[in-house]
Amino acid sequence: MLAQYATTLTFIALGAIFAYSFYAVLIAGQLSLGQAGFASLAAFSAAALAPSAADVGDVPALLTAIVIGMGVGAAASIVLGLPTMHLRGVFLAIATLGFAEAVRVVLLNAEWTGGAQGLGVPRVLTVGMAWTALAVVAYWFWRMGGSRYGRALEAIREDELAARAMGIDVGRHRLAAFVTSGAVAGLYGVLFAYYVRLIAPSDFDFAAAVDGLVTAVLGGSTMFAGPILGSGFQTMIPELQRAVGIEAGWIRPFLASLLLLVVILFLPGGLTSFIPRRVRMPAATDDQGKDLAGRRHPAAGDAVVTLAALGKEYGGVHAVRGVDLEVRAGEVVGLIGPNGAGKTTLVNMISGLVPPSSGTATVLGTAIGRTPVHRIAAAGVSRTFQHSKLFDRLSALDNVLVGAHLVSRPTFLRRLLWLPSARRDERAALQQAARCLERVGLADVAGTRASALSYGDQRRLEIARALASDPSLLILDEPAAGMNHVEAERLSQLITSLARDGLTILFIEHNVGMVLRTCTRVVVLNFGEVIASGTPEQIAADPVVIEAYLGAAEPADVDPAAGSIAEGTAVDPTAGGPDAAAPDAVLNVRPAAAGTLEPPDTTPRDAT
Amino acid sequence: MQQLLNGIFIGSIYALFAIGFTLVFGILDRLNLAHPSVFAASAFVGIELVARGGMSLWAALPVVFVFGAVLGLIIERLAFRPLKNRADAHFAGLISSIALAGMLIALLQWRYGPDTRRFPAGSFPDTRYEVAGAQVTLVQIVILAVSLTLMVGLTYMVTRTRLGRGMRAVAENPTAARVLGVNVDRVTATVFAISSALGAVAGVLFAINVNTAQLGMGIAIELKGLAVIIVGGMGSLPGALIGGLLLGLAEVFAVQYIGSSWRDVIAFGLLFIILLLRPQGLLGARKVREV
Repeated sequence: MLAQYATTLTFIALGAIFAYSFYAVLIAGQLSLGQAGFASLAAFSAAALAPSAADVGDVPALLTAIVIGMGVGAAASIVLGLPTMHLRGVFLAIATLGFAEAVRVVLLNAEWTGGAQGLGVPRVLTVGMAWTALAVVAYWFWRMGGSRYGRALEAIREDELAARAMGIDVGRHRLAAFVTSGAVAGLYGVLFAYYVRLIAPSDFDFAAAVDGLVTAVLGGSTMFAGPILGSGFQTMIPELQRAVGIEAGWIRPFLASLLLLVVILFLPGGLTSFIPRRVRMPAATDDQGKDLAGRRHPAAGDAVVTLAALGKEYGGVHAVRGVDLEVRAGEVVGLIGPNGAGKTTLVNMISGLVPPSSGTATVLGTAIGRTPVHRIAAAGVSRTFQHSKLFDRLSALDNVLVGAHLVSRPTFLRRLLWLPSARRDERAALQQAARCLERVGLADVAGTRASALSYGDQRRLEIARALASDPSLLILDEPAAGMNHVEAERLSQLITSLARDGLTILFIEHNVGMVLRTCTRVVVLNFGEVIASGTPEQIAADPVVIEAYLGAAEPADVDPAAGSIAEGTAVDPTAGGPDAAAPDAVLNVRPAAAGTLEPPDTTPRDAT
Repeated sequence: MQQLLNGIFIGSIYALFAIGFTLVFGILDRLNLAHPSVFAASAFVGIELVARGGMSLWAALPVVFVFGAVLGLIIERLAFRPLKNRADAHFAGLISSIALAGMLIALLQWRYGPDTRRFPAGSFPDTRYEVAGAQVTLVQIVILAVSLTLMVGLTYMVTRTRLGRGMRAVAENPTAARVLGVNVDRVTATVFAISSALGAVAGVLFAINVNTAQLGMGIAIELKGLAVIIVGGMGSLPGALIGGLLLGLAEVFAVQYIGSSWRDVIAFGLLFIILLLRPQGLLGARKVREV
């Protein structure tokens, strides 16, 4: 019974293993077509180097070959990966494809591979061995799914820059995914060789690579069962067609392609869309589990950010010029200024996204300049973005879990062994994430996809994600943009309460009323330079600031009736001169500048 | 000299094929993997027109151009438009165009069978010229002339006409283009039509050049097309032209001096070096990282 289907079943397993080598990189958002090259190198090296099955027995020969093959595959992927990991999308695909083709041609012309005739290999693999190997590979990716490492890869796929800002070393993670892919492809190459009896370089050509990619995407590249389903589908279609009596020839490939098209168009998640997804809800905040590794925060009053003559120039345009600024632990500093004043560029430099063109900056003891973003995040800087950069296809909870990357421990290897300590660590991270969600009032939408949240909820989710890393310095870039005044007021209270916990906060905001109510100090930027810095009272009364916002300090320009529309306007500070402003006065600005419908800045956007 | 000319002829076909590829990528940021199947299909259709329809070689070219354009519209409608708003449109578009290519090749197999097809004897005028001691046929000159005319025409259209301005606007920012009144869907469809029409003409010219058409001919040129657009710079039209000619010359000289079995290593070696040293290609602009 089983023997009748042994060939089909073996090919399903082989196809699935090859598809896993694509899955391994697709899950991190990389498109590679070099797997056929890795498989080819592995198959030929193993066939040439491994001891003969006649001498040592079938299983030892196969195991040795597998070790050689996976080693060769991994080594080749390191060699290829190191220079190509900076390539993205189609570029990486074509570079790796070029590598695979070059490998094919070299093997075709080499002596030891038998050239176009190929190399004879004894058939050792049985259907049981093939499925055992597939089970091991599938287990590996299943346990990877819920681990810190697996989440980091998914975060990189969804938004690489945000992943960096959460402290994930993107280069290392991408290379790790690539090497995994190479090793799995090597495993496939060896198993294939020990099944088909004769291998030729043309078995690992472009068409083979495309087959593997199609299988992986068809099955679904976001869930570990995808490659198995995809391979089952791809292998079964011709079998089914034969069973129902469809003649060989053009109809078979036509129907197979048509089915592929239908699946791709109507099942966005591939075949795994049919599998219901389990949503992990955080266990209520019972403080049973141990806490995450806390950070050491600077003592109140210590310098957190020190900028000296910091400048940034974009092709002759000075976005930021000669900024000297010091932020001390425990401060809540508001950064305001008209559109294009350089606020976002300044915080991008502080968080390491944009290297300054002049001046020096030290943030939490780390010098800014060539330090990669994830190192600065590791030093304790966490931020939100002007335009939400959430991990769209992950749940709200998973977004926050990625935020906790820096303060949680790696769990993948321990998860493979089912060590209880991994479960404890995961639970601690979950609780941390749940606390952060609760703090911003999003506990009830923990299982919702980030992209399905309302705009205001997305902004708050970004804050929760930034909080999850237990930062020393929190940078918020226009957190209240698009919020109504009730939401903005709640946000203001949240910021105040975070500051009470000792967090240092730097935030950009156009809602001046909110800034003046929330901050301990306000810095005003215009044309890339600091034009004023002081307590909210001083700033509200500063004629230079008023001029920057209103264009002129003439009382006639300000219509108190119009001003009262502006949020939080209590007193018109220009009415009776600077000294007349009440201590709790807020700056009266044009409604257009203070309202929440602020159009986005027009400054160069390449770093926001 | 003979080799140089041969390299230029074959290179101009590569360039024509690659320009269709790179046009879709440059403007719409999608890689259309059904492009090679259009290339193969048009070669068969071109032979059919000449062999059965009794058309002259030159009358068949415009018909194939239109045939390619229609295929392009079909590809856009079936494989790309339904994916427009999907988060994974990039990967899904690759796969859906592979699926469509599979269907197209299957249909070719149904119509023409698996065998190699040739033009009927006597389809080609056998006028020959001597250029600096090298033999050039009239057919080769026509290949070069048609390729260059189409490429110049395309460049003119993209840089000078209203439609071309619409295309460049869509390439910059589809949303903004839509807001400003550009009919993005129509521009997208037009880009696919033009791209496929160029690929179709390249297919016939290739078939004329080697006087064969095979089902697998698309796969062979697909890799070369990808290499050409990378070398020239993704989305750069002049880059594709230069890349195509370079590849044609490199191949011809590699065969001459190193041996035919190493031909493809040259192409991919070149590709690899370019990717490492200048990922944006020879003439590609480094895309500002969109973050």
